[in-house]
Amino acid sequence: MLTAILQTKYYYQKHKMLRDISAAIIRHTALSRRHLTPELVLRLITPECPLWRAKEGESPFRDPFWAFYWPGGQATARYILDNQDLVKDRNVLDIGCGCGAGSIAAAKMKAKYVLANDIDHHALAATHLNANLNGVLIDTSSKNLIGTKCEEFNVILIGDMFYDEDFSQTLFKWLIKLHEAGKTILIGDPGRHGLTEKRRRHVQMLAEYKMPRESQEENNGFTKTKVWKLNKLI
Amino acid sequence: MSRVLVGVKRVIDYAVKIRVKPDKSGVVTDGVKHSMNPFDEIAVEEAVRMKEKKLASEVIAVSCGPSQAQETLRTALAMGADRAIHVEVAGAEYDTLQPIHVAKILAKLSQDEKADLVIVGKQAIDDDSNQTAQMTAALLDWPQGTFASKIEKTDGALTITREIDGGLEVIKTKIPAVLSADLRLNEPRYATLPNIMKAKKKPLKKVSAKDLGVDLAPRIKVVSVEDPPVRQAGSIIPDVDTLVAKLKEGGHV
Repeated sequence: MLTAILQTKYYYQKHKMLRDISAAIIRHTALSRRHLTPELVLRLITPECPLWRAKEGESPFRDPFWAFYWPGGQATARYILDNQDLVKDRNVLDIGCGCGAGSIAAAKMKAKYVLANDIDHHALAATHLNANLNGVLIDTSSKNLIGTKCEEFNVILIGDMFYDEDFSQTLFKWLIKLHEAGKTILIGDPGRHGLTEKRRRHVQMLAEYKMPRESQEENNGFTKTKVWKLNKLI
Repeated sequence: MSRVLVGVKRVIDYAVKIRVKPDKSGVVTDGVKHSMNPFDEIAVEEAVRMKEKKLASEVIAVSCGPSQAQETLRTALAMGADRAIHVEVAGAEYDTLQPIHVAKILAKLSQDEKADLVIVGKQAIDDDSNQTAQMTAALLDWPQGTFASKIEKTDGALTITREIDGGLEVIKTKIPAVLSADLRLNEPRYATLPNIMKAKKKPLKKVSAKDLGVDLAPRIKVVSVEDPPVRQAGSIIPDVDTLVAKLKEGGHV
């Protein structure tokens, strides 16, 4: 009986937290189609939002990766929307889902089951909001799934996560294990430093897209973004 | 186009009231707000503007210090630097780190990274040394343009306006060169959220002084750090004659 009361209390608190976070996200973001996947409307921090001009310490969110649509994520979502066979009737896991675009694209292309995963609760709240806006249903989880077997999934999406050397090493080792277990690994990345020469020997580039002006990284940054499939084991 | 190396230092924020430690070994830094040295912000801004004008191809930010130095490097990246190098120096070695060591580190990195322009702030607001640029230039045997308030670049050469006692001096140097930024060189941009987030995905490499072959043994020992003397109370004098008498009395006249 006591357990039931505590569980309900926890559930209510968890939901209240989700509602508060969602309210904050709605307040600080704007609806945007100005990206590689205009079929999807996403809540992002755009030049119309006051937070676009916020200085260090002025943002109510800590590290809002989910409020921006990264080049790698755009490439993955674009590829899924253009190649339905990749996800149709399959179970898709989106690692580091951010705004949820990859998951939403998979759901729209009739994946059987989609799980959006991110350790940041704000990303999961943003994903739910964006899923609603695009008329799809997605499951979310904040558990750290990196390193786990992911047996229920056939397709793994990784959008723009190769920007830290230590993390890239851990990530890549795990992805190779999953590939050996027969899963399709889709990596969206503009060519960041973490996608080293050595690691690129394990992947095959599936597509390359020119980024819309808004998403291009300033000056010498990336103007194109790419999606790769893990397929060669050395 | 040049490859520019910019040295940035993490210092106690300029607005903080400094407190000397009771044991007179230094100032209190624990829990105190730190930021990028203001003259280094100006150096970063100048390098980024060069890139925007297509006078530079790449800007590399470098900082020597403990792990918190990475925050300062992320600020440089958010202002527009392309990548960062953190030379990790911590604990006792950091307490005794001096311009001579930093100059050796910057000189080595400039060679390794094939940079042809090094820009640093003219001095740090904590030690006011005003030595790093000069020593770096000497180690590299490159010309130096210090206290720069204007930098103009043409192919292979620089025209630098320097702030000196008595006014301004204009010099011309070849490239490669070492420059130090003075206050009026530019007004640095604020890093805003989209650029702060983009900076988190830019490369930040960690190296040690040992990797660079630089010996961090101190050449200087800090004997004591003390507050400036407390200002003595003055006295109100009724008229000029009394003032003159008091001045003569005090041996000032």
